[in-house]
Amino acid sequence: MSRRLSLCLSTKLDQLERIYDAVDELGESEEWPPGMVYQVKLVLEELGVNIVTHGHANDPDQEFEIVLDSDSDALTIELRDEGQAFNPLTDSPEPDIESGLDDRPVGGLGIYLVRTMMDELSYRREDNKNILTIVKRKDNG
Amino acid sequence: MEISVDRANEVLIAKVEGRIDGANAREFEDALNGAIAEDDSKVLLDFGALSYISSAGLRVILLIARLLQKRNAAFALCSLSDPIREVFEISGFDKIISIHDTQAEAVDKIGQ
Repeated sequence: MSRRLSLCLSTKLDQLERIYDAVDELGESEEWPPGMVYQVKLVLEELGVNIVTHGHANDPDQEFEIVLDSDSDALTIELRDEGQAFNPLTDSPEPDIESGLDDRPVGGLGIYLVRTMMDELSYRREDNKNILTIVKRKDNG
Repeated sequence: MEISVDRANEVLIAKVEGRIDGANAREFEDALNGAIAEDDSKVLLDFGALSYISSAGLRVILLIARLLQKRNAAFALCSLSDPIREVFEISGFDKIISIHDTQAEAVDKIGQ
């Protein structure tokens, strides 16, 4: 069981549908464990929305790439974009998940969900591109 | 994403269907604000038919929860699927918003 899928997306939020469809299809054909399809959609949405709204400041004429590599043990994801440099491992603050309703900051949770749900994340900036590699192992819910 | 509204035991029940993401979270926020009347004192969101929510949707839930708290109105969620419950737990939202397994249990609890 092994399959690779590449998506070249324009920097518009309507592209999310294409991501969801691709993840549904790959998850089904590669027999991902229950819950993994949801997590992968969420991770790609959070990061994709970040690239569109922050990395490219909603300029709809740019592009970014997602490559999904699914094998028997794990899914490896690579995201490449030419937006503003952003390392989700260091450039996103730890969110406040403890304080009461009134003191909770609005937002800041997306990257935290990504880091929590995936097993490995690594970032590099190369040729003016953000390149983020993510691993999600199949045995880890 | 669609919202249908019902009232039982003075509880406004808004049933949310479909997906809430970065592309439609604003629409979700507007729809909820439109559905909740100023004199509603008990509000329940039924997520039984919700297939997906991400941080964009959590942001709206937090804003609504705060607004209702200011009005001294009760607010709860019910019928979350396992992956959606996981999103609420990781975010620590289960500690600031009451979550019930079923609509009947939630109405019973906040309708008192």
